[in-house]
Amino acid sequence: MKKFQLGEFEEIVLLTVGVLYDEAYGVAIKNEIENRLERKVSVGAMQSALRRMEKKGFLDSRLGEMNKKRGGKPKRYFTITAFGKQALEYSKDVRTDLWNSIPEIAFDLKLV
Amino acid sequence: MLKNWADRLFKWYCNPDFYPDIKGDLEEIYSDHLEKSEKLAQWKYLIDVALLFRISLLRPITQYPIIKDTGMFRNYFKISVRNLARHKMFTGINVIGLAIGLAGFLLINEYIRFERSYDSFHEDVDQIYRVSYVQVINGEDGDKDAMSSYLVGSVLNEELPEIIQHTVSKKFDPMILKNGNVFFKESGIISADSNFLKLFNYQVIQGSKETFLNEPNSIVLSRSRAKAYFGDEDPMGKTLQVTTNYKATLKVTGIIEDLPDNTHYRFDMMISDKTLDGTHDYENWSYNNYYVYLKTAPGVDVSMLDDKVYAATGKFIDGEDADVNNRTRLDIHPIRDIHLKSDFYFNPQPLGSQKAITFLVIISIFIITIAWVNYINLSTARAMDRAKEVGLRKVIGAFRTQLIIQFLCEAFLINLVGAIVALAIAEISLPYFNLLVDKVIVDHVWNHQPFLVSLVVFSVGGTIASGFYPALVLSDFKPIAILKGKFHNSKKGVALRRGLVIAQFAASMVLVAATFIIYLQINFMIGKDIGLSVDKVVNVLIPEDDYEDEEGRQAFLNRFNSFKESLRSHSAIETVGGTSNVPGGDENDINSTTSAVSIVGLSDRLEGTTYVQFTDDQFFDAVDMDFYAGKNFDRSIKRDTVSVVVNKSFLERFNVADIEDLLGEKMQFGKKETNRKYTIIGIVNDINRTSLKTEVEPTIYLPWMNADNLVIELNDINYLAGIEHLENTWKDFYPDAPLDITYLDERFASLYDQDKRFGDTFLVFALLAILVAILGLFGLSSFLSIQRSKEVGVRKVLGATKTQIVAIFYKDFFVLIAVSVLIGSPIVYFLMNSWLDNYAYRIDFPWWMLVIAGALISVFALATVGYQTSKVASLDPAKTLKYE
Repeated sequence: MKKFQLGEFEEIVLLTVGVLYDEAYGVAIKNEIENRLERKVSVGAMQSALRRMEKKGFLDSRLGEMNKKRGGKPKRYFTITAFGKQALEYSKDVRTDLWNSIPEIAFDLKLV
Repeated sequence: MLKNWADRLFKWYCNPDFYPDIKGDLEEIYSDHLEKSEKLAQWKYLIDVALLFRISLLRPITQYPIIKDTGMFRNYFKISVRNLARHKMFTGINVIGLAIGLAGFLLINEYIRFERSYDSFHEDVDQIYRVSYVQVINGEDGDKDAMSSYLVGSVLNEELPEIIQHTVSKKFDPMILKNGNVFFKESGIISADSNFLKLFNYQVIQGSKETFLNEPNSIVLSRSRAKAYFGDEDPMGKTLQVTTNYKATLKVTGIIEDLPDNTHYRFDMMISDKTLDGTHDYENWSYNNYYVYLKTAPGVDVSMLDDKVYAATGKFIDGEDADVNNRTRLDIHPIRDIHLKSDFYFNPQPLGSQKAITFLVIISIFIITIAWVNYINLSTARAMDRAKEVGLRKVIGAFRTQLIIQFLCEAFLINLVGAIVALAIAEISLPYFNLLVDKVIVDHVWNHQPFLVSLVVFSVGGTIASGFYPALVLSDFKPIAILKGKFHNSKKGVALRRGLVIAQFAASMVLVAATFIIYLQINFMIGKDIGLSVDKVVNVLIPEDDYEDEEGRQAFLNRFNSFKESLRSHSAIETVGGTSNVPGGDENDINSTTSAVSIVGLSDRLEGTTYVQFTDDQFFDAVDMDFYAGKNFDRSIKRDTVSVVVNKSFLERFNVADIEDLLGEKMQFGKKETNRKYTIIGIVNDINRTSLKTEVEPTIYLPWMNADNLVIELNDINYLAGIEHLENTWKDFYPDAPLDITYLDERFASLYDQDKRFGDTFLVFALLAILVAILGLFGLSSFLSIQRSKEVGVRKVLGATKTQIVAIFYKDFFVLIAVSVLIGSPIVYFLMNSWLDNYAYRIDFPWWMLVIAGALISVFALATVGYQTSKVASLDPAKTLKYE
């Protein structure tokens, strides 16, 4: 049984929230992912991932300021919770573990 | 534009918790895109919105209602409830009125729905028809006999490609069936061939519908009749004995589900057609004693078939050279229309009446309209009370629409409560209603879907019908005028209210007068001298015996005759007569012939139906029929086949100066010279053998000394001893057969059961309608008199007495009642005169009834008004005028 439910896209979003630290609201996260990963992200996919993770307890959110550009609507800033950090670490550990377990020979073959 | 639309969509489905910030994000992205192109930005926005439609972002269904702006609705609702709770009389009168009105209206509707549903449950009902004989006399349809002769079905089926199936069935007179010592008198027995269930798809429970009617002496029972005879045993293969009519032993070969009530040809048992092989007169095309049904191919228009039908059958019925204007026409009638839209004689069971349905529709519309009018009247009469409220609301900023919604909300609440109460009333009164119409329309209304649908439709419809006008009026007040105190009831409103009250009371008056007239006609029919005296006359049917030879026949007759003699020997029994058809039966309970009749050497052949009854010499005496001229049959002539007694109507058709001259002449049926000639030995006065809806029929009485339907006249005083003697003698002579005694006066009275039921139904609903109208008037007069309490105060101060004040109020209402009686009278005349025309013997239109009905309505109305006004008139003027 999985300890943390964290999908690939969710992990990226969660990491990006961490990267942006205090400035992690919808559009910023979207732009960050698009810039760094050079892939298109839809508002729908990202928002549903954010809300899902908030529900799971990986993220916390607070409402921020509003401005005219946003049609008078507030921003919602997300921050990673301790639980979210654990999930990220767990995910990272699993990967490192897997990396370490790969026999050298698997890579060497390529060099032939 | 696109963006707005997309945004509305998004707002509609998005979880309101998430909406603001996501919307903000969307806006931000949109404004970024806007720098490139507006169109592109809008499309991207739409795409984003579409992609945002994800389960995790959707509005939770339970937590947030789809319509968000409920605030005002809640307010309307709250205010309405408070208003209604505060004005309890207004609310009560309206709720009770609406509940009674709706319940009555919907119950009647349910009955009408039932009456109209006859036979509609058959598969392919639109392709099933009944063939009937219609006499054409001088080019016009004369007597219409629902029945046909045996071969009509098969000949039409063979000759006409449009007809794909046929069946022939005969309905039997009541029989007594026996299983061991369990016996019942069965009146729902028919014969059926193996095609019968192919046309009528009744559900078979046991046995195979392909074969169970193939063998002679087979019987198929309905589920409940099978249970009555065999209880929980398996009835298949068991036998039932027929003790009357046909002596036979029938084997149960199948069970079918009980038939629904709404079919014109109801039966409980089917005897296989082949059982009757010996009694069928197949070749005789004038022996029309069968119900013949046809099924056409889909899409066939039967009105186009008339010529083909005549070509195929005319030669058999009327011969090759028949006169087109005097012949028998076969009428092909859709079975769906038989119950309400047909006028045939010799129906298998009483038909419904389209006229009665029309009358009931009128009552039901009256009753619900009266209830709706109550609401309109009472709420506009309260305008004064509500005016200040409306003015203030408008000043604070209420739109007119909002006020309209507010008033409609009140109307809706009243209708809703009314509907709930109506459902309860309908459910509770349903058993009584079923009794009233003598049919089980439905078992329950609360789970009967069509009823509930109507209930909802008419309570919502009623809200609009009754609530809309008051809402418009009340919301139209000008706030300045109201708040300055210059508000008056509008002239238009008063006129409308008067008009509505007049309409209500005109309707009530019509119902009252109609009810009285219906009862007058029924009493007239029951009390009319019909030429017979049937008081203390009873009828018993002698069981048929199973004799096989002449010897057996003699033994049967000897027993029969000594039974009669033994009856006669008792002092309490006056006369014992016998006949084929006992008086007081329905209109079918007679024999008839459509052969043309002539007086030999004196008259031409006369087309038309002649009714035939077989009687012995004692019959006329037993029912007190008087001889106009001539003499009775002579018992000493054995097997008299040449004498006939006729009634006056029969002879009057021949247009002779003195019918007595025809006494002793010979009469003859048909065209052939060789046909039997009957000597007219006696003429009896006309009698009405059945209900007074039908005229006296031209009837001949043929001698049958061994007629087995006994008519026994008992002594007026010790008739009970006579009955006892009859019972004892019966036991001595016919120990195996059950004795079934019918009193002839009851038999005659039961002819009018349907009319009485109609009268009772009318009475009940007329009373309800009046009750609702009176309720409305009660409310209206109380509002109006309270509004005039200041006027009353001033009048009293100036010296008016209480009586004078009440008289002033009375004057207004009396004018209204008088006008409604004036309007109602011609309506009563047109409706009821046409109703009375249904009867061959009817009362003259009772004009004095209009006066009585008008007086009754006035008394009710003025008593109601009087109660309210005298209350106001006795108020202390010091109190009513305190604030002026």
